[in-house]
Amino acid sequence: MTVGPEHLIIAPILIPFFAGALMLVYDERQRRAKQTISLAAAAASLLVAIELLIRSKGNALTGNNDIGFYLLGDWAAPYGIALVIDRLSAMMLVLTGLLSLPALIYAAAGWHRQGQHFHSMFQFLLMGLNGAFLTGDLFNLFVFFEVLLAASYGLLLHGGGQLRVRGGLHYIAVNLTGSLLFLIGVSLIYGATGTLNMAHLSNMVPVLSSAERPLFHAGAAIMGLAFLIKAGIWPLSFWLPTAYMAGAAPVAAMFAVMTKVGVYALLRLGFLLFGPTAGASAGFGAQVMIAGGMATVTFGFLGVLASQGLGRMAAHLVLISSGTVLAAAGVAMAGGGTEILGAALFYLLSSTLAVSALFLLIEPMSREEGGIASLLALTADAYGLDEREEDRQPEVGLAIPGTLAVLGLSFSACGIVLAGLPPLSGFVGKLGMLQGLLAGGAATPALSWALAALLILSGLATMIGLVRVGIQTFWTGDSDPPRVMALEIAPVMTLIALLLFLTVKADVALGYMQDTAEAVMRPKIYAEGLLGAPRAADAEQMSDEGVWP
Amino acid sequence: MLEGTGIARLRRKDTFTGMIEENLLLILVGLPFAAALAASTVSTTAHSAAAWVSGWLLAGGIAVLAALHAPIAAGQVLRARVEWVPSLGLDLTFRMDGFVWLFACLVFGIAILVLIYARYYLSKTDPVPRFYAFLMAFTGAMIGMLLSGNILMLVVFWELTSILSFLLIGYWHQGQAARNGARMALVVTGLGGMALLMAMLILGQIVGSYDLDRVLAAGDVVRADPLYPLVLVLFLLGCFTKSAQLPFHFWRPGAMAAPTPVSAYLHSATMVKAGVFLLVRFSPVLGETEVWFFAVTGTGMLTLVLGSMIALFRHDLKGLLAYSTISHLGLITALAGIGSNGAILAAIFHIVNHAVFKASLFMAAGIIDHETGTRDMRRLSGLIRAMPMTGSLAIIASAAMAGVPLLNGFISKEMFFAEAADWHNGTWLDNSLPYLATVASIFAVAYSLRFIATVFFGPQATDLPKRPHEPPSLMRRPVEVLVLGCLIVGILPGLTLGPTLNLAARSVLGADLPFKDIAVWHGLNLPLVMSLVALATGTALYAIMGSRIAAGPEGPPLLHRFRAQRVFERLLLSLTWKAPRSAHRLLGTERLQPQLRLIVLLSIAAGAITLWGSLRRAPSPLASPLEPAFALMWLIGAACAVGAAWMAKYHRFASVVMLGGAGAVTCLTFAWASAPDLAVTQLLVEIVTTVLLLLGLRWMPKRLAEIEADKLLPSHLRRLRDFVIAVVAGGGLAGIAYVMMTSPLIPNVGDWFLRNAYVEGGGTNVVNVILVDFRAFDTFGEITVLAVVGITVYALLRRFRPAPESIALPPDQAGLEDATLANTMLVPSVIMRWMFPVMIVLAAYLFFRGHDLPGGGFAAGVTLSIAFLLQYLAHDARWIEARLTVLPIRWMGVGLLVAGSTGLGAFLFGYPFLTAHAQYVDLPLVGKVPAATALMFDAGVFALVVGATVLMLIAIAHQSLRTTRLRARDATPAQEEEAA
Amino acid sequence: MEIVISLAIGVLAASGVWLLLRPRSFQVIVGLCLLSYAVNLFIFAMGRLTPGAPAIMPRGGFINPTAYADPLPQALVLTAIVISFATTALFLVVLIASRGLTGTDHVDGQEREP
Repeated sequence: MTVGPEHLIIAPILIPFFAGALMLVYDERQRRAKQTISLAAAAASLLVAIELLIRSKGNALTGNNDIGFYLLGDWAAPYGIALVIDRLSAMMLVLTGLLSLPALIYAAAGWHRQGQHFHSMFQFLLMGLNGAFLTGDLFNLFVFFEVLLAASYGLLLHGGGQLRVRGGLHYIAVNLTGSLLFLIGVSLIYGATGTLNMAHLSNMVPVLSSAERPLFHAGAAIMGLAFLIKAGIWPLSFWLPTAYMAGAAPVAAMFAVMTKVGVYALLRLGFLLFGPTAGASAGFGAQVMIAGGMATVTFGFLGVLASQGLGRMAAHLVLISSGTVLAAAGVAMAGGGTEILGAALFYLLSSTLAVSALFLLIEPMSREEGGIASLLALTADAYGLDEREEDRQPEVGLAIPGTLAVLGLSFSACGIVLAGLPPLSGFVGKLGMLQGLLAGGAATPALSWALAALLILSGLATMIGLVRVGIQTFWTGDSDPPRVMALEIAPVMTLIALLLFLTVKADVALGYMQDTAEAVMRPKIYAEGLLGAPRAADAEQMSDEGVWP
Repeated sequence: MLEGTGIARLRRKDTFTGMIEENLLLILVGLPFAAALAASTVSTTAHSAAAWVSGWLLAGGIAVLAALHAPIAAGQVLRARVEWVPSLGLDLTFRMDGFVWLFACLVFGIAILVLIYARYYLSKTDPVPRFYAFLMAFTGAMIGMLLSGNILMLVVFWELTSILSFLLIGYWHQGQAARNGARMALVVTGLGGMALLMAMLILGQIVGSYDLDRVLAAGDVVRADPLYPLVLVLFLLGCFTKSAQLPFHFWRPGAMAAPTPVSAYLHSATMVKAGVFLLVRFSPVLGETEVWFFAVTGTGMLTLVLGSMIALFRHDLKGLLAYSTISHLGLITALAGIGSNGAILAAIFHIVNHAVFKASLFMAAGIIDHETGTRDMRRLSGLIRAMPMTGSLAIIASAAMAGVPLLNGFISKEMFFAEAADWHNGTWLDNSLPYLATVASIFAVAYSLRFIATVFFGPQATDLPKRPHEPPSLMRRPVEVLVLGCLIVGILPGLTLGPTLNLAARSVLGADLPFKDIAVWHGLNLPLVMSLVALATGTALYAIMGSRIAAGPEGPPLLHRFRAQRVFERLLLSLTWKAPRSAHRLLGTERLQPQLRLIVLLSIAAGAITLWGSLRRAPSPLASPLEPAFALMWLIGAACAVGAAWMAKYHRFASVVMLGGAGAVTCLTFAWASAPDLAVTQLLVEIVTTVLLLLGLRWMPKRLAEIEADKLLPSHLRRLRDFVIAVVAGGGLAGIAYVMMTSPLIPNVGDWFLRNAYVEGGGTNVVNVILVDFRAFDTFGEITVLAVVGITVYALLRRFRPAPESIALPPDQAGLEDATLANTMLVPSVIMRWMFPVMIVLAAYLFFRGHDLPGGGFAAGVTLSIAFLLQYLAHDARWIEARLTVLPIRWMGVGLLVAGSTGLGAFLFGYPFLTAHAQYVDLPLVGKVPAATALMFDAGVFALVVGATVLMLIAIAHQSLRTTRLRARDATPAQEEEAA
Repeated sequence: MEIVISLAIGVLAASGVWLLLRPRSFQVIVGLCLLSYAVNLFIFAMGRLTPGAPAIMPRGGFINPTAYADPLPQALVLTAIVISFATTALFLVVLIASRGLTGTDHVDGQEREP
């Protein structure tokens, strides 16, 4: 058999899918086996993602933007469903992979024993995320949103308990409403344009008749609301802090990328459908993105200042991060040039990694004695779990030396990145955005100044808030340092190392982001490429006839 | 020819030396950081080791500086460049000229002395690696800031100094004072840093480059730019916060909680001097304007006068020194504001002098604190007997601070007086400079005098915490060195510092600056008179006021009530805690209803904004005629919907039934509109959902009595509002649907499916072909959702604990209870039992005909699970599980795997995932087989659906079994919540 | 005919939204069910109405698409039905659990103080 390299595009969806399904067949008590499968799957999809990233770089001929296509069921676009891999989606895939491995390792410290089928749900979450990043079909996007949402419901409730259930109730109610909006939007768009394929749509938008355009806009707007909810944009973001706080540490760490899915969808569709070439619809919704983003940043940094616990603070940092990216993207959509968009993407990468690391740090930092081990024991007798596990005894936590020093260093590294202080990657991203703004990015100078001021202010607020927490944790606590397992600190260190790497290699990364922004700005390549993608069957016939395109 | 080669060789030599110097610059910046790394690795008690390693590396730095002296003295500007983020103009460009060289010498020199001092100052219990590491890193950041040839890098190092000083000030973080001081320092300087960043960014935009040389050369462009005022404000905000100018002076005294070596270092040579360094450095670019003069000189003079006055009234030794530092920085700032050649020279000179004598004074104060255990000048007295050496050193140093002739402080002060008396622009400020200067130095003399008199003379203090005695000689050595410096520079300024200072001034102001001779004696001139007046009046002032000050409160009369520090504390609290808190509460909510309401309202708005004015369209002829029967049916449907809405609160059972009614009507609609698949699926789902809801009812609280609050007016209003929202939303959706249905059908991809469903998909039921072939990927995701939900429900119900009152079997709901059905109604239960095989057959039938007729894997799956469900209804769960064992989760796993691997199969033939490839294998009977793979896929769907649905139903149905165990358990619910 | 369907959609949606905004978790879930009916009908309506058209096509031969209902919306509705069924079930369980843990069926897990 020959499994050609073209199948690599769908691997990020299939690997987690099969891993998750396989683990369902396993018995719930064989955790070690599940853990191995899960880790292997995550590692594999990360490798695939990196390979895809390298491929999507392309060369000068292809405008540094090789777009790969995958026609599912070998049905030609726009009829069948197609997967599309370009720089943007490849980047998001890599980001997901980078977050998933540390989270899984962390979970191995015992969190995955807090409830049932943790690993399956985790894999399905990965599948949903990767699918949402890859698909080129509106309704299929909805389906993958549901996959990742369903998985996130499960993971959020993982472990049960009042806080989680209550947070989960709100989270689910809001997101179900969002899904209904998504459906209404998609169906309106189909009714108005007669297609679901993104590329096809992007070709049709400029030539829509005046009768259909308003309906199409209505559909897009309502669907956009659904994305805004997922992206946690004010005033649709009140569910987020509670939900993210409630989730178990590894889950929360993974959730750091969930808001980015909404942002990604807004970016992708925004530029495909309402990009500069969209005729009468060009720039539709850009103002909303800018306003919403700025409002979110404001709300976020107010929340950071207002929150006592680190968990709530981190949740609001998530808001700041997605709001910043969205506002910057809106500016770019309104014709602000690619610099700011590229910088925003870079910022997205670094801030997501940092927030994820922070979520992993919360529990060890605010830990009394015992940590997860005692926690498990407590839950176990609380719920009378009638499962006899082959590894009942808690993992031996080889307490690392100088725990406090390590925790403190990691914490301050996260803080510096998130506050955009020099010299770490957060500063580079913010600097890029500021330069883009000052170079006349936004439509009006007033807007540029406002946004710049907001960036600075949010950074300052982040610094103040995190310093407050840091002082409380590391400087006032005269109790003996907590017992932290290497399994818990290693993932954090990995993420920090990634951030440092990103800082040192900032120029390379930024260059990639710039080209990505360029590519995103030119939807035509995407659209024509997809609609022209050859079916395997046709290719075969051609090769039979000896004709090769 | 020969000359040519000679020149060539010469050039090569130049480039060669140039390379060496380049590397030397990098080494210079790198050394302190290397020291920090080295120091951080030694064990926590190895004092000497940490001190030695850092000391040697710093000495290396000084050696490097010495090596660089020759080219610098030749007026050369050395540069080195390491690329970091060129695309943002962010490069590690280092640049050294005379000014920087002088400053760097200062930083390194004092750093070494501080190290030696700290080695003896820190107690055995302090964790030293942290201290030395932070101190060295701070030195590195400072050096980097000085050498930055790129204004963005300058900000980077600037912020680094802020962060590291935070860590240094908070070194003794057990004390509340240290924590507050550190935080305040970080907040203030951090804010300044952000402002500076903006300033530099705008500056770069104006000049078109972030390279320092380009910026320094572009003074006229900058001053002419409309953004100049903004740049100036932001820039000054940065400088003033850093060098503690009014009104930002308050973080300095707070920072005194730091260990004395840190104070001696940060507040003499480094941290606070960074601000004035920038002022001097950028005065050619931003200076020479009216606004600059007023802003900078004005602030400087104000700080100078007030600082010196407050210093006089402080009882704390370090407090006095802190405020004197503030006032001296004001002096330097004022000089930078004047900006004339002489002023700049004086400023640089005073930077050096102040660093030298203030460092020695801090160390002396530290020694006193260390040996006597107090810093309160009201308790200290007559120490000269106990510690003669330290005493005399401190006296000389403070004399320098007062500006006594033949000491270094005197000369730079003279120069300052000269500048103050000199005419610059004739504004009122310019004219008042000499008087202000004199007043300030009167206070300076007074507080220096107070320091000397109260601490060292008078009767020997008896009630000191410790018995005072001389410190170890090595601890005193640094002070000796510094005081020696004061003397030498004070007596022979021209020989010692003259050339270097001129070099520095040249590198700031331009090479064509005339050489200015620095001498002690300028003849009897106005500055000298001013000094003498100051000395005389100051002495008199102290003689008169001395006792009263000692008796008075901490801080000057009237002003001592107003503590900038406390004000700032309160301000910080309200700005970073109270205000955001209330604003956040105002802007957000924790409750669900407002959130959902917002979503609905926003979607209404989205629809209205986009569609406004475009919805007016007469129904086109293609509207199909109205059928009364259908209309009637929907009358019922609508009634059911509204009824369900009405009943949902108090009569849940009725509401569920009506919900079913509405669903049934929907099914009929699908059937009527020629969509049998929808009808079938909707019906089946309907049944399952209803059963689930009924099972769920059992765990809902009984609500017989009406809730009191519902009768009140506010809740009535709430309902009215929600009613309006609901009507608008529904109306909007209806309107859109109507417009869409009555607008002509546009060509869409649906037609393609119709044409190709049989030819390519090999099925006549287009919808099913779409689901299992054309868009099978959707189904693929859909079943994953089902699976995930299934395991989630299972996992969640494993942890389920019902509310206490619903554990007992509720009498009123017993009718709809599952387990009780078998006993209450026997006949139906028997019928249900016999239904089992029938329904299995039905499921199989639905499954196989799926591809060509309505039905398919999903329908079949739901049917089968309904069969199981009926068994559960007919008997209690135990009866069932005794007879047949279903492992739903296994079913799900297998189902997913089957569906997935069916799709994977296409790989074997080189086709994409989920390709139904039977149609490419030419088999004779082309009637049935083409659907082969699709059928397998559907089988997977079937298994999954059975698994998931049964799992959910069983999981909920099981709860009634577990209540028995839970009854015992719900006694202690409290800590279980915490547990999970 | 269209008018009836659209009115039906309207009524279902209105009742659903009304319930969605109620404080009791059970009301919310019933509201979500009603809303999903409305949305399903809405999606279906996007393919326009073709009452009386044959649902099943002949084997082979030329097909005139206008004679059949647009199949794609139907497929979408089927997927939507399944997914909304799943999520409804999940929500039901969550609200039962919440009721069990918090002791109230208020969506916020605590009675609202008047």
